Amino acid sequence: MKLLTHNMLSCHIKNVRNGYPFLIEVVKVSEHEADFDPDFLKHIFPRINWPAFLQGAQSLGCREGLPEEAAESMLEDEGFLKRFHHALLEVFLEEGSLVCPETGRKFPVTKGIPNMLLNEDEC
Amino acid sequence: MPAGDLEHSPFWYVTLPSEETAKSIGQRALLTKMMVEVWGEGSTWEELEAALQAYPAEAMAPWVGPEHTFKVVVDAFGSKLTMDDQLDLIEKLEFLPFKGKVRLRNPELTFVLLVVDCEWNDSLVDVALPRRYYFGRQVAAADRGVLESYSLKRRLYLGPTSMDAEIAFIMCNQAKVKRGQLMLDPYAGTGSILVAAAHYGAKVMGTDIDIKVLREGKPGPGGPGSATERVCIGSNFTQYGLPQPVGLIRLDTHKHPLRPDLQEVLHAVIGDPPYGVRAGGKKSGAKPEIADRRNPITDPSTHIPATQPYTLGECLRDLLDLSARLLVVGGRLVYFLPATPETYCEEEVPGHPALRLVANSEQILTMRYSRRLVTMEKVHPYDAAAAAAYHAARPDPTMAIDRLHDIVYEQLDEAAKKEAAEAAPRRRCRGKQF
Ligand SMILES: C[S@@+](CC[C@H](N)C(=O)[O-])C[C@H]1O[C@@H](n2cnc3c(N)ncnc32)[C@H](O)[C@@H]1O
Repeated sequence: MKLLTHNMLSCHIKNVRNGYPFLIEVVKVSEHEADFDPDFLKHIFPRINWPAFLQGAQSLGCREGLPEEAAESMLEDEGFLKRFHHALLEVFLEEGSLVCPETGRKFPVTKGIPNMLLNEDEC
Repeated sequence: MPAGDLEHSPFWYVTLPSEETAKSIGQRALLTKMMVEVWGEGSTWEELEAALQAYPAEAMAPWVGPEHTFKVVVDAFGSKLTMDDQLDLIEKLEFLPFKGKVRLRNPELTFVLLVVDCEWNDSLVDVALPRRYYFGRQVAAADRGVLESYSLKRRLYLGPTSMDAEIAFIMCNQAKVKRGQLMLDPYAGTGSILVAAAHYGAKVMGTDIDIKVLREGKPGPGGPGSATERVCIGSNFTQYGLPQPVGLIRLDTHKHPLRPDLQEVLHAVIGDPPYGVRAGGKKSGAKPEIADRRNPITDPSTHIPATQPYTLGECLRDLLDLSARLLVVGGRLVYFLPATPETYCEEEVPGHPALRLVANSEQILTMRYSRRLVTMEKVHPYDAAAAAAYHAARPDPTMAIDRLHDIVYEQLDEAAKKEAAEAAPRRRCRGKQF
């Protein structure tokens, strides 16, 4: 699971109000080079929830060099784009869990795939 | 405009802003065999010759000089021409002022003589056309080689419903997938649509309710310890040298975990929704009749969640609503709608206030079963209240095809079924059998 995915997910158990963002419990993180596509990065940047992104990056150990606040003007800076690209798409949670901040329910991430299926008493 | 005003003709005239446009369409479109600048045509050879003689010399001049290598190919529609027939026809074209050298392999220019002749054997074609000759310069040809290299025959990871490579590429063309974009297949399965979208340069995401298909894959061709000991979605991307998906998530599209304020992140949603007895949809939650008999949940993160049937109607309602929310305005949803002649009616094709229907094309699979490739475009920003009102006005999303099995099994015994099949007019199959 990359931080792009983490940024999009929130806990959908019924009646949960504050299910975003998931806390990340890390067992194993790996890095893989990803195709650098500035147009894609410019498209996705304004849609990223920045505080959640920073929190995720902190957990996966790639927070360094990412600014506290996000501003569109940063997209002009190639150095920033590279760091954003790296944290968003190249750092990968292989094993671990997504933990609901409200209920503590753990959604396991195995072989990089978060298992977000709800149990029958959670729908 | 179709040639000769025949709607069913496979030959169409198009007016395009430039040769570049024609080239780029011609190279990407898979169902267009080629684009030709027509220099002359006629119902008889004499008419064709006269038309070519009348074609302005200055329009021909840039292409017939000694500096160009070229070849002429003969293409027959409705009949088969032997090599000798073809050579005879090419010889008859010698009145044309070509000064360049003929080169059969990789010439700079290709000219096409098209012979339409359906009089001898009309079973070769779906539609009979009047006899006609066309001659012109080929501007672009479809790159069908791409289909050969992505053929499922050599695909490492496959499942029973893996999407045929040609159809997956056509779906991506309908969705206008390109580099710089984010694409989602909510029913990713073995990832065959994701592969096609990645080929066109998009970043791709896949979700599926089936954890096995997403995460575990299958034993592969390689021996123990080799890179292909097991194959999974990732293997297919490695096989073609494509960047891996940016996300794979196990989820249920009916109760999905995408954050509620997430909007306008996707350029394309492309998928083949679950349908049928074997590949039918599932959604979370226990069936009411077995809910109390289930094992108690001790650890929610390892418990195997119960699932229940998910009708096509419900599934498509969720798909359209999710797409209406997650697509950028101008983004497209492309999906297959299963259909049978008895159950299909146009009014049933699902709608959404934020989406406009762009195309609905039938692919006939067998006599009793076809599917329709539906293309929709997001034309308005998502308005939750409008969507809710739209759905409230249509309280039951179930479609006629969801009741098909009851219809077939309850009302017809075997004999009656057979009779019905024989009485039905034979339908022509243009698509492949799946
Ligand atoms: C027709 S198959 C798609 C196959 C895919 N195109 C491929 O190339 O392998 C439909 C898929 O939908 C999945 N599915 C069924 N119910 C679902 C649900 N509620 N949410 C998400 N996926 C679902 C099935 O597990 C199956 O993999």
